[in-house]
Amino acid sequence: MSQPSPEVYERGRGMDAHNQVMREIRAQKEETYDPHEPTRVWLDEDNTPDGVYRSLTIILNTGGCRWARAGGCTMCGYVAESVEGGSVAHDALMDQIERCLEHERENADDPADLIKIYTSGSFLDEREVGAETRRAIAETFADRERIVVESLPDFIDREKLADFTDHGLATDVAVGLETATDRVRHDCVNKYFDFDDFVAATVEADAAGAGVKAYLLMKPPFLTEREAVEDMVESVRRCAEYCHTVSMNPCNVQRYTMVDDLYFEGGYRPPWLWSVAAVLERTADADAIVVSDPVGAGSDRGPHNCGDCDDQVQRAIKDFDLRQDPAVFDQVSCDCEATWETVLDAETSFAMPLTR
Amino acid sequence: MTEYFEVHARDGAARLGELRLRDPVTTPTLADAVVVDGGSLWGTDRDLPEGSEAELTVLPHRAFPAGTDPTVQDSFAVDYPDVDYPSAGVVTAETAADYGCDAYVLSNAQGVAGHGASFRDELIAVREAVPADTALYLAGVATPRNVATLVAAGVDLVDTKRARVKGRQGRYLTPEGEYHLDELDELPGAHPRDPPLAEFTREDCVAHNVAALEAELRTVRTRIRRGRLRDYLEGQGRHENWLTASFREFDQEYRYLEQRTPVIRDTELSAASEDTLNRVEIQRFADRVTSRYRNRFSNPLVLVPCSARKPYSDSQSHAQFHRAIGYRGHVASMTSPIGVVPQELECTYPAQHYDAVVTGDWTEGEKDFVATVLERYLERNDYPRVIAHVPGEGYRDICERVADRVDTPFEFTAVDHPTTSASLSNLDAALSGELKYSKRERQHNTIRAIADYQFGPGAGDDLFPDLRTTSRHPKLQVRDGDDTQLAAQVPQYGVLAFTLAGARHWAASPAPTKRVEIDGFVPHGSVLAPGVTDADADVRVGDEVVVEGPAAFGVGRATMHGAEMRESTRGVAVEMRHVEATEDNA
Repeated sequence: MSQPSPEVYERGRGMDAHNQVMREIRAQKEETYDPHEPTRVWLDEDNTPDGVYRSLTIILNTGGCRWARAGGCTMCGYVAESVEGGSVAHDALMDQIERCLEHERENADDPADLIKIYTSGSFLDEREVGAETRRAIAETFADRERIVVESLPDFIDREKLADFTDHGLATDVAVGLETATDRVRHDCVNKYFDFDDFVAATVEADAAGAGVKAYLLMKPPFLTEREAVEDMVESVRRCAEYCHTVSMNPCNVQRYTMVDDLYFEGGYRPPWLWSVAAVLERTADADAIVVSDPVGAGSDRGPHNCGDCDDQVQRAIKDFDLRQDPAVFDQVSCDCEATWETVLDAETSFAMPLTR
Repeated sequence: MTEYFEVHARDGAARLGELRLRDPVTTPTLADAVVVDGGSLWGTDRDLPEGSEAELTVLPHRAFPAGTDPTVQDSFAVDYPDVDYPSAGVVTAETAADYGCDAYVLSNAQGVAGHGASFRDELIAVREAVPADTALYLAGVATPRNVATLVAAGVDLVDTKRARVKGRQGRYLTPEGEYHLDELDELPGAHPRDPPLAEFTREDCVAHNVAALEAELRTVRTRIRRGRLRDYLEGQGRHENWLTASFREFDQEYRYLEQRTPVIRDTELSAASEDTLNRVEIQRFADRVTSRYRNRFSNPLVLVPCSARKPYSDSQSHAQFHRAIGYRGHVASMTSPIGVVPQELECTYPAQHYDAVVTGDWTEGEKDFVATVLERYLERNDYPRVIAHVPGEGYRDICERVADRVDTPFEFTAVDHPTTSASLSNLDAALSGELKYSKRERQHNTIRAIADYQFGPGAGDDLFPDLRTTSRHPKLQVRDGDDTQLAAQVPQYGVLAFTLAGARHWAASPAPTKRVEIDGFVPHGSVLAPGVTDADADVRVGDEVVVEGPAAFGVGRATMHGAEMRESTRGVAVEMRHVEATEDNA
């Protein structure tokens, strides 16, 4: 496959501008983190092609995404969770894994069958996680059923994935595709790869006997509510042709990002939860598991409705995640649905957001 | 080039215009029914819309919402192609320029509406970057409460988007407030079609909000036609703090408003709040009186209080002062909010056009303003002494403050009230021994004083080293030695209007002139903007201007400011008074 990389793709005026601005924004952040502690760890339940599994999710602190250090994605603040110096040694990373296992032992009766490892970058990028560490982590979780690791498409190759599949782990790579529309991914999100690269990555994963889980971003900056919804419906359908699971996630406003600047000045509103529900409902017939995990739902900085119905709609979304039954959305209603419909009809990109 | 929009009337930065579609639309107005969005280029490439003369087409755009970094705007900005149908380009202060569109849409309006200073900065930057005769559209922000402020800043098109969304949220809008339906006991400012509160749905609330916005726009348009939008804003804007902040912020940008405020108009000016002191008309009058006008009388200065009746000399109190003074003193009236009005300028706009709220109590701001003007006035003009024939309270307080700061000696002649017989007899006595000035001196000084005020320092002497006057104040006529009329005093505005001979005399004199250059035609009635080849930057609406071109010479009154004449491709630039052909073949 072609090997796009952050370096060769950092070109073009728009991307230069986005990267320059994002670097300036990120430079305002001064906090650093202990390389021996994971960024976050939690226990949950997840829908997989083999049914609903109990899961252990690990956000590994690897020094963060190299693309983000070049500037990176307009909505992503996770680079702020990187460590000083930019890279984390093998021993420190293994300390982080040990912390996660402690967390699991303290909070669960049995080990989770599904392990999900995110790095806010690319777990398969050997400059973030070296081959030695990758293999040691695969070894650590060899007795589980499934594993998901996050990576940009350029770092996905069959040998790296074999480290996991060789242990008999059902392996998926989580790819932050964000949208199937190249123009939106490039100009609104500032991600450098194309949908074709994503498709190539699914082929590479398949060759290793692994699968791909596409992560989509609902409502990057510069899109109206309706454009954002249509972009997601289209993207879910196109992704379903290449992967078994699509996680469609509404954008939230993270600190030290371009989205935060827009939000602060009154130029951005996270999507409505009605929009999330509408996309899930409209794509329920797609040939993939489609889930959504609205981070910060109900808050001003997260996807939200009017404040009265947010919990209710969020519960319906979680319910849909596990059962994939669009009927769950028939059970929720609120006066603000009509406001949302008015916004869909009336909002243009020169008149947004129409309401907070 | 602007083809489908024309400005017909102005009131400060506000304009009454016409969107010249197949069915023409008077602005400021709601754009919903006439605007078609050619679509955003952020998500997809788009073909150029076919467009139509029936609608205003927003050309395909990359809109930058509030908070977009200038670097990002710079690299993603699109250019707008030339099209032959009514078109609008989407801009921010950062990207605004003349793209040849008829209208411009501000894409970050959501961010700036609500903050006085940012709103002012963004609006001025955009308005100054696009041609004056293009419409400005702010989408998704108008409410019945803020629309007067939007229009006053120079916005021509708004829409119902925000009002409809608010209605769906159960928020009931009026020109004075926003109420949640659940909190109302009755419907304030209900419209005839509004059902009673008990049956009032959110659907009804949407309809009400749109009707309220339409009604407010009718009020705003009427106010612009009458030249009284500012008076309205000083009251209505009090209902939301950012609106009050907004007109105060604009007042701080004197340059922008001054350029757009007529120098004369036949419109009452209501002085009902301290904000009135900051109006361009008030500041400009005070500035011209203290920097252009010069006293030519050698008599003492008699300061008297203003009167409610205008011009002051028509009032009973001033008639009494006049009898006591008997042309032995130069009279200047002290007033809030105008400051100091020398007798020669008592008819000059806005001296006979304002109406102040009078309670006898002066605010510190008023005192400070009038004292500052009086002090500057006395620094510029030499008087042997000042007779302050003023009542107590504010007037006396101001005079005493100024007396401490200037060399000219003050004496006070009023006891209790200036019109009591004791006071008037004091005034008479204070002037005993002073010589009377003649009617001729009075009339000549009036003409020269108006010329100073109107054209610049020294203009009275530069224009009229010798002159003869006929007729009577306030309709004096100015004639030269051959009895040819040069100018006339216009009673409604207290300014001079030139004859053709007067215009030639003016143009040849050392006095500053304001000129408009035109193409080779002879304008009868009016000069349209496309005929203007150049115009002085300091020309203001209402200014006397010399109009000259290869084929004609004439004089008229400006109906646009100078920059607007140069930029515009539509609209009347000058109403001609007199013109003559200067070529045989013209």
